Amino acid sequence: MAGVDLGGGSKKGHGKGQGKKPKKRINVRIDMTPMVDVIMLLLTFFMLTTVFTTPQTMEINIPPENQTQVEVAETMLLTLRVVEDGTIYYNIGVEMPKPIPFSALHQFFVDQLQQKPKLICLLKVNRKGTYDMMVNIMDEINLAGLTRFSLAPFTDADERVIKKVKGA
Amino acid sequence: MVRKKGRINIFIDMTPMVDVIMLLLTFFMMTTQFRPAESADVTMPTSNSEIKLPESDVMTVLVDKSGKIFLKTDDRTQMLLTRASTDPAEQESFKTLNEGVEIRDQNHLSNLVVRARVANPKLRTVVKGDKDTQYGNFQDVMDTLQRVKITRFALVTELERG
Repeated sequence: MAGVDLGGGSKKGHGKGQGKKPKKRINVRIDMTPMVDVIMLLLTFFMLTTVFTTPQTMEINIPPENQTQVEVAETMLLTLRVVEDGTIYYNIGVEMPKPIPFSALHQFFVDQLQQKPKLICLLKVNRKGTYDMMVNIMDEINLAGLTRFSLAPFTDADERVIKKVKGA
Repeated sequence: MVRKKGRINIFIDMTPMVDVIMLLLTFFMMTTQFRPAESADVTMPTSNSEIKLPESDVMTVLVDKSGKIFLKTDDRTQMLLTRASTDPAEQESFKTLNEGVEIRDQNHLSNLVVRARVANPKLRTVVKGDKDTQYGNFQDVMDTLQRVKITRFALVTELERG
């Protein structure tokens, strides 16, 4: 592509007698087609394999261990319990837990927030539940704009409450 | 009788095109980073969160499907951690930290996490859990982090589509 001048030019100005005949240029034409083919292939490969996306992250805050007791109004506390099979139970305050399908969660959060903007949500997931379920519910909580939210361990007491509901 | 059409010999100069393609190729070759092999095969859950994972000063706690835990740090933290240690045997054990080391138990995890945080105070903790792992495995990690006073961390997810 780029022509290289191999000197000779500076000699031009010298004596007449030395005058050399300008060399005949050989016109070289290289067929670039195979090269272009290969380059195109490489280009397509790199374009297709490049992933510009970086993974997303979800921020989460947990209370420090030396927890100070915070008193909240019963009616403001929404407890979500996720049991082993993925069923979600919710209850507000001390009422009995009721099952709720995952698809209805978003609307439920929005409605609840409208009634009580200071709602506090407590999420308890059974140890045998899936991590996916917890992330999905947290995602719904974030989407609904429920900022006062906390994770709590699923205790035996929770297990008994759920059993009672199931039996009833 | 069909007379053959006289072929017109067209010669297209491909040089500018090749130049552009070469440029593109160089760009893609330079920017491509092949994803390093993960110490555990983890399928991340999806979420609508849009916070991006930072590229440096990250410590990743991997929780795979069966509940095995791995700890991974970026190269800089690993270097700082190795430099801070005086025990050669221990330095050796940090060598693979940027590729991920398997965690034996929760005490091992808390020990490593604390040391990494001391070595690099800017370190951010992220937890990368497999979506099918049991919640209990994650809860153990969370409890350990809480014990070492890391109360702010991030969960790595993939962007939810649709």
